[in-house]
Amino acid sequence: MAILDLNREQFDALTGADQPVLVEFWAPWCTYCRRLGPAYERLAQQRGEELAVARLNIDEQPQIAEHEQIEVVPTLVLYQGGKALGSLVAPESKAMIDTFLQETLPE
Amino acid sequence: MEHIYDMIIIGGGPGGYTAALYAARAGLDAVVLERLAAGGQMALSHQIDNYPGTEQGVDGFSLAVKMQKQAEAFGAKTELAEVSRADLVANPKVLESSEGTFYAKTVVLATGANPRQLGVAGEQELTGKGVHYCADCDGMFYRGKTVAVVGGGNTAAQDAALLSRIAKQVILIHRRDTLRATKIYHEPLMRAENVSFCWNSVVEQLVQEEGRLTGVVLRDVHTGQSQTVACDGVFVSVGRIPASQLAQGQLELDEGGYIVADETTQTSLPGVYAVGDVRTKALRQVVTAVADGAAAVHTAEGYLVQGGR
Ligand SMILES: Cc1cc2nc3c(=O)[nH]c(=O)nc-3n(C[C@H](O)[C@H](O)[C@H](O)COP(=O)(O)OP(=O)(O)OC[C@H]3O[C@@H](n4cnc5c(N)ncnc54)[C@H](O)[C@@H]3O)c2cc1C
Repeated sequence: MAILDLNREQFDALTGADQPVLVEFWAPWCTYCRRLGPAYERLAQQRGEELAVARLNIDEQPQIAEHEQIEVVPTLVLYQGGKALGSLVAPESKAMIDTFLQETLPE
Repeated sequence: MEHIYDMIIIGGGPGGYTAALYAARAGLDAVVLERLAAGGQMALSHQIDNYPGTEQGVDGFSLAVKMQKQAEAFGAKTELAEVSRADLVANPKVLESSEGTFYAKTVVLATGANPRQLGVAGEQELTGKGVHYCADCDGMFYRGKTVAVVGGGNTAAQDAALLSRIAKQVILIHRRDTLRATKIYHEPLMRAENVSFCWNSVVEQLVQEEGRLTGVVLRDVHTGQSQTVACDGVFVSVGRIPASQLAQGQLELDEGGYIVADETTQTSLPGVYAVGDVRTKALRQVVTAVADGAAAVHTAEGYLVQGGR
């Protein structure tokens, strides 16, 4: 599965859905966000069946970022059924994202 | 039977991917184990001006992607794996990682370095909530705000200069009374109107309100007097520490934790090489890291030709 770039409507629809969605809040000027790219793409390939993997540009959607209280990019938030199940700020490895998902995804 | 690589390179920074390039070109079966993305610390720098052959300077991330592609074009592989444990004495050598166990005849440690922390209470919880280690990465959050930069070297001076173009006010905190930074880095700071200096000062405490940094308490190293400085963020730039945990107890390290190796990159164990920022050396830069990567493969080839003895 490819990574989805979310607009307002897609954000509302996907985060409200029953299937969990992982959203990376990112910005074009964010150096660290670029470093996350390869690991995030790999994750989308490996886990595309279990969850949707998406990104949201905080410069294009500042209201969403503010509403979700995003203070640092990249922040990854796992949503399901309209709720944020957990978040992870600037992970230092792909393994950290995998562990976060294991601990946060419902059984 | 498990697969035994000729060479496993831990870390995909400039040192690691240069080793991979030379290894692949020498016909070695080599893989890079990288926990996140190519480039390491280099990928955090938007503008590298001292890497030869790039007259306009080069973006560290783009250079990293090129280094990775070049190594892979000659047959090197990459796994996005974080190595958690290494048995460097065993034959073959055993590396446990988030993506399983790997085996190799030779290992190149190219794990680089990480930012040194201030070592004050609350630092961990406030990281990302007012405490930062990369101005290039997180500076943009402080548009129109007041930030402190701690440190006196080139990176601290560069961070302060960058932040002075974004923030309203920048306070540079340094434990000495002058900057160690090279002239071309500190002159713009002296000229900037919104940069002030707290000399002879160390951060003693982080002040927080509702889980967010609101200021720092500084102590004057001569008088012992404390003062509170209000700020929205603090950028810590007090040096780096080598990522040599995997080698602890197996390889000789110096008192700073660097893996002892000369320019052959040979460590205290046969078949194990240390390249780049993690190795004992005088100058830690991209250009010296890539030189090490080439040297490591040259040294390892000698070892492999003799049947790994
Ligand atoms: C902000 C900044 C600006 C800089 N500017 C310049 C400059 O202008 N010019 C210059 O020449 N140098 C510059 N440097 C220094 C330069 O970036 C380093 O010297 C160089 O990157 C060192 O390369 P390396 O391959 O040794 O390690 P690194 O670049 O640190 O790479 C190490 C890699 O190993 C990986 N790793 C670590 N542990 C593990 C593990 N257990 N498992 C898997 N992977 C692991 C890391 O994720 C990382 O990708 C700068 C550094 C910084 C921080």
